[in-house]
Amino acid sequence: MKKFKRRLSLTLRGSQTIDESLSELAEQMTIEENSSKDNEPIVKNGRPPTSHSMHSFLHQYTGSFKKPPLRRPHSVIGGSLGSFMAMPRNGSRLDIVHENLKMGSDGESDQASGTSSDEVQSPTGVCLRNRIHRRISMEDLNKRLSLPADIRIPDGYLEKLQINSPPFDQPMSRRSRRASLSEIGFGKMETYIKLEKLGEGTYATVYKGRSKLTENLVALKEIRLEHEEGAPCTAIREVSLLKDLKHANIVTLHDIVHTDKSLTLVFEYLDKDLKQYMDDCGNIMSMHNVKLFLYQILRGLAYCHRRKVLHRDLKPQNLLINEKGELKLADFGLARAKSVPTKTYSNEVVTLWYRPPDVLLGSSEYSTQIDMWGVGCIFFEMASGRPLFPGSTVEDELHLIFRLLGTPCQETWPGISSTDEFRNYNFPKYKPQPLINHAPRLDTEGIELIAKFLQYESKKRISAEEAMKHAYFRSLGTRIHTLPESVSIFSLKEIQLQKDPGFRNSAYPETGHGKNRRQSMLF
Amino acid sequence: METCLPAVPSGRPAAGGRGARGRAVPPARAARHGDGGERAARMHPATAGTPRLPLPLPAAPGTELQAFRDYGESWYRSRKGLESRFQPREPLARQPQVTAEARCKLVSWLIPVHRHFGLSFEALCLTVNTLDRFLATTPVAADCFQLLGVTALLIASKQVEVHPPSVKELLALCCGAFSVQQLRNLECIVLLRLGFDLSAPTISFFLEHFSQVRLQAQGADAAEAADARILAGGIAELSLADYAFIGYTPSLLAAGSLGLADRLLGHRCPLDLRISGYPEELLRDCMEQLQLLVSLNGQSLPLLLPPEVVQKCPWLRGGR
Repeated sequence: MKKFKRRLSLTLRGSQTIDESLSELAEQMTIEENSSKDNEPIVKNGRPPTSHSMHSFLHQYTGSFKKPPLRRPHSVIGGSLGSFMAMPRNGSRLDIVHENLKMGSDGESDQASGTSSDEVQSPTGVCLRNRIHRRISMEDLNKRLSLPADIRIPDGYLEKLQINSPPFDQPMSRRSRRASLSEIGFGKMETYIKLEKLGEGTYATVYKGRSKLTENLVALKEIRLEHEEGAPCTAIREVSLLKDLKHANIVTLHDIVHTDKSLTLVFEYLDKDLKQYMDDCGNIMSMHNVKLFLYQILRGLAYCHRRKVLHRDLKPQNLLINEKGELKLADFGLARAKSVPTKTYSNEVVTLWYRPPDVLLGSSEYSTQIDMWGVGCIFFEMASGRPLFPGSTVEDELHLIFRLLGTPCQETWPGISSTDEFRNYNFPKYKPQPLINHAPRLDTEGIELIAKFLQYESKKRISAEEAMKHAYFRSLGTRIHTLPESVSIFSLKEIQLQKDPGFRNSAYPETGHGKNRRQSMLF
Repeated sequence: METCLPAVPSGRPAAGGRGARGRAVPPARAARHGDGGERAARMHPATAGTPRLPLPLPAAPGTELQAFRDYGESWYRSRKGLESRFQPREPLARQPQVTAEARCKLVSWLIPVHRHFGLSFEALCLTVNTLDRFLATTPVAADCFQLLGVTALLIASKQVEVHPPSVKELLALCCGAFSVQQLRNLECIVLLRLGFDLSAPTISFFLEHFSQVRLQAQGADAAEAADARILAGGIAELSLADYAFIGYTPSLLAAGSLGLADRLLGHRCPLDLRISGYPEELLRDCMEQLQLLVSLNGQSLPLLLPPEVVQKCPWLRGGR
């Protein structure tokens, strides 16, 4: 090893010959270490410059699947990528020392890698200027990985080179890189005052707050980022989707504030969710308001579905309502994932009540229709004052569904009888019951519409777009269909919220509901 | 020497079940390195017990189709409308260290990695888009580039996958070159730098869309449509790795890939590329570029495809 070190520092001094020396050196090492069977370069040189693609790299790589592992594994994927990144462009860049420490291609450097790359004074990207272009083959690069870890480039060498380099090509030091990465546009937490805690969950805590800029109330959803898996999926999905969804019936994301170890999503504040609304009116809603709420759910949902955004977790707790009666879809955390979990990571049970039977039976092949079942359930709940299928387990949930709508068979749900999942439950053969018996307050059109939501076969469920045109909504007039997306339906004078018959005028106890409120926003 | 190599897919035994889901995985993929397997198993104790998904209900035929009939056109319009906003702008122009070649190698590595985890092509497209748009905003050191690759993969998986790979699994593929903290930090930086704008339109989406449109047409040949879709997927995957295609929009690449796939497969009723709305010369140029790419990768392309599709393509069969 000493020999190499001496050799390397020699080469570094005589920069003219570094390339050659390095390869030569690497070669010597390989021989000495006696570890190589494979001298094949991963990337063949001399490719047409137009295409930097996979080429032989991928070929070699994939090829290695077919062949028995004749070669050392690292040559399969070409050493560590970090080392490739030292590919020379107009000069040969000697990235070895740093890379070697990081990538730890052998035992020696393994130890070194424990010291964390951040602490290593960066000799990264030593450039040798004005050299004729010569590509280092992967062979060379792989062998570089075998260099001992403790090589140090002579002091002053780096500085000298950097002075001579044009600014563009100058490699960044660790510190300047960190600086370049960290100057990020933060929202400012000082802008918001936390008022009271609305609820707490595994990943987030929700506060009621006030914006100092607008004096408006806001909901502050504080997501902790200190998880093993980094930022929670739900946060990533929710923020990335909501940023693109601007609609009168979808909750508005005002701001994203990144503070130390947490991410705060600033939403518009709405007084209550649908569950609470129903509670507050003793579960007897005005049928006119049921219609207005259903229409708004469909309007928000149709907007999402037109953008191929699925909600997947519709339930009364996710539908927020303000005092004007404006209803907005919230909590898009589950949107776009391919399956809906029955439990959160912390094992909290996610409600099954609004979940379609195909999903309960394990289907993961679904589209916009997945949301329509839940709309039917919510519609029923608003109209009848009680949840339609309040199952506690998957089996219980399916049982409740089948008892009301009839146990499906090959005729009513093609393909169902060959499903193991379904057969294993061995449900009794129930006959469908008339829905009107359970929701006597609904008119004929309403019953007809609800049946269209509650179809076993997802492809037969009515779409949100279609449902909005259903005869049930005829009484709302025609202007409602042509409103711009961002305009509330209450901007039309003919659209007015009515007094709910069961509404208790006394101020509802804010605190009593505190626990359950916004539960939906927490996961 | 063995310990610390980014032995990408050297056997993660547990991944078998997941890898088999969704897209067809060529047999070449399924074969793992015998020697790597044992080590990998040791490195990933957690993955051995990956919970199995319940066996899904047989794909409800027509569910997708019905949704497409209801909304296909508006999906297309909305994604198309987002294309320019999400198009990376010269991501390498201001990169002092990351080169086109390095990017190619990284993406070429991410392709088998995403298959290894059984991730969708959609996730891969999003990964590359996130990677490129981040590169356009921030200079990245060569030795962080691989970390950026897995970070982008992690973010994309969290967006669209049911089971994103774990941070541990991803880091093991980098051979412990990076720490959990580094990955989490970079994730945060990427998310904030991109302002959480992550839902980019993808080639994957447009391939699906054009294929669906094709099926809706009178006298559509479903078998041809399916084969073209698969081959085009392979071609599109190659194009992700090639920096020469950075300026092409996903919808153009999807149309070009399908056009080229039809041509390579000698289809009698190829997709009418005019539905993409691109002028003929643009499509022709894109197809020519893709053809060049395919011919340069004549040997690796079949490895990205199921053998039955390769068999149907005289050109690829010959190249093997």
